[in-house]
Formats: sequence, structure tokens, C-alpha cells
Amino acid sequence: MGAVARAGACVPDEASAGLTVDGGAGSGSAPAGARLSGAPAEGAGRARGGDLPDWLVDPPRYDPPRDRDAFVARSALSIASVLGRFRLDDGRPSPLSPSAPAKLILGLACILLTSLSRNYFFVLVMLALVLVRACLLPSRKLARVASVAGAAAALTALVMLPAILLGQSHSALLVGTKVLVSVSIAMIVALTTPFNEITGALRAFRVPNLFILTIDMALKNIVSLGRIALEVLTSLRLRSVGRNRDKGASIGGTAGVVLLKSKEAAEVTYASMECRGFEGEYVSGGRGQWRAHDAAWAAALAALVALFVYLQSLV
Amino acid sequence: MHIPENYLSPSTCGVFGVATVGIWAVAIRKVSRSVPKDKMPLLGVAAAFCFLAMMFNIPLPGGTTGHAVCGTLVAILFGPWASVIAVSIALIIQAVFFGDGGILAIGANCFNMAFVLPMVGYGVYRLVRGRSGGLGRELVAAGVGSYVGINCAALCAALEFGVQPLLFTDSAGAALYCPYPVSVAVPAMMVGHLTVAGIAETVFTVGILAFVRKVAPNFALLPGSSAPVAGGAASGAEAPSLAASVAPVAVLVGLLIVATPLGLLAEGDAWGEWGIEDLANSLGYTPSGMASGWEWTALMPDYSIGSLPDWVGYVLSAVIGVALLVIVFRLGAAAMKTPVDFDARQA
Repeated sequence: MGAVARAGACVPDEASAGLTVDGGAGSGSAPAGARLSGAPAEGAGRARGGDLPDWLVDPPRYDPPRDRDAFVARSALSIASVLGRFRLDDGRPSPLSPSAPAKLILGLACILLTSLSRNYFFVLVMLALVLVRACLLPSRKLARVASVAGAAAALTALVMLPAILLGQSHSALLVGTKVLVSVSIAMIVALTTPFNEITGALRAFRVPNLFILTIDMALKNIVSLGRIALEVLTSLRLRSVGRNRDKGASIGGTAGVVLLKSKEAAEVTYASMECRGFEGEYVSGGRGQWRAHDAAWAAALAALVALFVYLQSLV
Repeated sequence: MHIPENYLSPSTCGVFGVATVGIWAVAIRKVSRSVPKDKMPLLGVAAAFCFLAMMFNIPLPGGTTGHAVCGTLVAILFGPWASVIAVSIALIIQAVFFGDGGILAIGANCFNMAFVLPMVGYGVYRLVRGRSGGLGRELVAAGVGSYVGINCAALCAALEFGVQPLLFTDSAGAALYCPYPVSVAVPAMMVGHLTVAGIAETVFTVGILAFVRKVAPNFALLPGSSAPVAGGAASGAEAPSLAASVAPVAVLVGLLIVATPLGLLAEGDAWGEWGIEDLANSLGYTPSGMASGWEWTALMPDYSIGSLPDWVGYVLSAVIGVALLVIVFRLGAAAMKTPVDFDARQA
């Protein structure tokens, strides 16, 4: 950790006057009470009130130099934002939203149809659907979707710049809109589904157990280790009084603590899984994951596919 | 009233562009102080009203069409500076995505419809409404204000068209840009707006305002501009039933979206919004500045897509436009959040 509050260093005047803060009132060269009530010591005669020494009457003026801890604050903020994104109760489904496996299928199908479409109208229909869904997102998620999808579309426009300059602006517009729609769909699916449900939904697609287990454990460990790292950084910050130049050196300590804790967490998790009868078979998913109104979403997807086929035939 | 590309000279566009940027800067500063963050998305919904109102084309005398703008409505609900922002963003989305109004002419269009219209309309509204008055008087004031506002905006647009042949001609005396002088442009624009388009603006403004005041009193803000209404809950304070009061307005927006194809019933273009070929046919020549002008490829030019029926493109445009407006204003509200400075020195 390397960060220790050195309170004694902050009060040099008191220490020279015969008192040490660390040692408490009784450990000085003379009892504090004797000084205050007894005969005035050297310099104390000029004190206001007659019996208080100068150093005691002076109002305490401790003005520590500004500490340089921007890196701690920034690290803490970035960890906290990652944790915020991974929060397991985030993206709780509304009563009308499809189940996680259905949402994955819908998202993949929409991205596939958008990519395959040669009719611009279909891409615009998808754009309208995505925009309407994005309108209903909470503002934090909306900002995230807009920034990522906007950046992807801008990058596409940059890549397609030669096409625009050569007079093929329509194809550049088509590709740019497709990228915008596809990235937005992927982001919306990811942001509106809790991570544990996504890994659970993978089971419905017959993804190997080991793969799901690894993803699931990694995601959960990121959350718990992130929390530990956040706590360590907070404690480092709280224990630094004044300008603490040793803080940079304690970054290694922070990483070490997190590493040790991760090892501990992995062992404890595996032990607890064994205690609960885990034999390497990841039993998640199954039919219980699907919801009744997934059928309505399937019908909507079928309508979208029909529209896609009809519009493709017009091209 | 949307001035298309190349109807105004680049220098005219530049002058209006600079003026409009200044107006936007003032408006953004005023709005960030006066409109609370939680009401910003509602301003997006109000901008959606403007967007949709501009899609309802109404036939005017002389074979042209006109439309309402609803800038005065937004000014009454959220304040005139908020209306500047809302109508401007609606106009920018129309120009960029749907080719309605020129990209270079955005400055002039915003000056007319997003600055002159709400400012004049709101001023007249305040004048007529006075200090007191119930809902009836407010609606009358809104009607008069919106009528005067849209006509002032149309007059500005007509003057901008009209000065072009005075200022920009070639050596033979033929106009380089818009060929119609003030003596033609002003009567042509004003006849339509003083009669049909002005009335349409009044009907839209009064109808939507009455609906909002009665059904969703929490929708508006600005205690100064929110009228004493039935229910008496209209104030800028935190309203627990904000979502509930937005719901009827959202339904109204949905109905307007579905009804937008009615705007297709009016055939013909608005005055001053013809394509270059149409203009050349009626004029006998193509003004050289327009022939060599710059043209923007919009996502859905004229709210239509290829060979598909016009109404499909219209409804789709309305959905995309409204969703974009709501997203823009929600992102704006999110950006308004004050960042927490963890490094701030403790006092």
C-alpha cells in the first residue's frame, strides 16, 4: 500500500514545543497540564489572557499543499464506470421485452437482414425501428449507444470517402446507414440484457459448457475484483494526508492486492461450486428461459423477414 | 417557406449563417439557464410537433402549397429561446436527411422560421394575453401571435428571395440566383400565408396548446408562461406524474405521424421551392448561379424512396425525424449534467 498518514510530520511546531502528537498528552517531556496551569514557560507570558502559551492561542493553520492524485481518481472512476456497466441488475427486462435467448436471436437476425439488404428502404425501416427503440432507452444507455454507433458510422464515412469523391455517394450512404443500424442493434441488445442472462442464453444455442463457464466466471470476477480495486484505491486516497509522493510507488501494491484477492476468490469460488455438487456440467438454460410472448416477437420477426424478401424482389 | 439550395447567393447565405450562429449561441446560453434538464426531452417532443406540422402541406391559391411551423407554440410552452433551438434542430434534420430546404440556406431558413417566427409570435402572444386571463384568452393570444409570427417569417423569406435579382445579375442583366424581384416575391408569398397557411398555423397552435393545457398540464414549463389551467398543476416544479402527462402528448405525436400522408393531398410545390428544371421551364432560362450550384444528397430526398408509394416514405420520414429529434434533445439533456470534479480542492 505504501501510503501512511504521518500525522507527526504535520505539526512540527508542537513537537518542538515539547509535545508529540503521536505520543499523546502524557508522553511529552512535561505533562501538558503542568504547562497550562503552572508558571508560564518561556514566551508564554505574552499570551492573551495571561496563562495560555502563544502556540496554543494561535488558530491552527494547516494548509496542506495540493496532492497529486489525479491518477488515483481517474483509475477509480474508470473502474467504477466498468462496474456500472457490468452491474447485474442493470437492464432488467420490462414485461413486454423478449427473453434473453429470443432477444439474441432477434438481434442477430436484424443485423443479418440489414447487412444482406440491397434495398435502401429496408435499411431505412430498420433505422426507424432502431431509432424508436433508442428513444425509449435510459439516457445513460442512449448516450452510450449514440456515441459508439455514431463513431462507427463516422469511421465508415471516412473509409467510404473515396466513393463519395468518385460520385458514388449513394453506396457510401447505404453502407454508413447499415453500419449505424447494425452497431446500434448490437449495443441495444448488450445494454438491455444483464450479462448473466446473456451467458445463460448462450446455453440455449448449445455453446460448449467450458466456454460459458469461462465467460461467466470472468464476468463475475471482473465485477468482484473491480470492487476490490476500487476499495484499495479509495483507501490509498483516504490515507494520504497532504502531498504524498509515495503514491505512485503503491500502484504495484494495488495490483498485487488485486492479484492475491483474485487467486483467493477463484479458489473459494471453485470450492464452493464443488460443495454444491458442480461436476463440470453447466446446467443453465433449458426451456424455462423462454417466455410466452416470445411468440409475438417471433411473429414480428417473421413479418420483418417477409418485408425483406418482398423488398429484395423489387431490386 | 423552406428556401432551397442555390436560391440565395452564397454571400447571402454566409451573412445569415453568421447571424444565426450568434443567435444560436445566445439561445443555448439562455436555454441552459432556464430549461431544467428533466424538461429537455420534452422540448424534443415539442420540436417533433414542429417537424410534423411542416410535413402537412396545404394547398394555397395559385397552385402552390404552404405549411404550419408551430414555432409560436413551442415558444409559449418552453420560452422563445427554447423555440429557437427546437425549430432550428427540426430544420437542420429536414435539410440534412430529407433535403427539405438547402444546406447552405440553413442559416436563412433558421433566421426566418426559428428566430423571427417564435420571437414575433411570442411577443404578440404576451401583448394580447396581458397579465391575467384564463385559458380562453390564452388561446386567443396564441392564435393571434402564431398568425402574426408566421406572416412575419414569410415576409422575411420573401424579402430574401426578392433582393437576389437586385444584387446578383450577370452582364446581360439576367438573375444569377432567385429570379423574382421583391414586387413579385412578396405578394406571391404573402397571399398564401395571409390566407391559408396563417390560418393553418393558428389552427395547429391553438389546437395543440388547448390539448396540452387540458390533458397534460405538466408538459410545459416556465412558470411565467404556463397559464392558469384546469387542474392548476402547470408549473416548472418537479412533477411526480411527468411520465403520465407525457403519455397523452406521445399519443398525439403518434396520431400526427400516422396522419402525415394527408400532407400529400396538396399537389404542387411551395412558392420558391421548385426544382431547378421546373423553374427553368416556367422562366425560360436557368439562372447561371443555380445551374452551377452545389447540391446535397439527402437520405430521403423529398420524404420519398424510389418507386415506393409516397405515403410510405412520408410516414417513415415522420418516424425517423421525430425519433431523431427526441434523441438529440435527450442527448443534449444528458450533456447538460454538471460533471463532478473529484480533484476539486477541499475548502
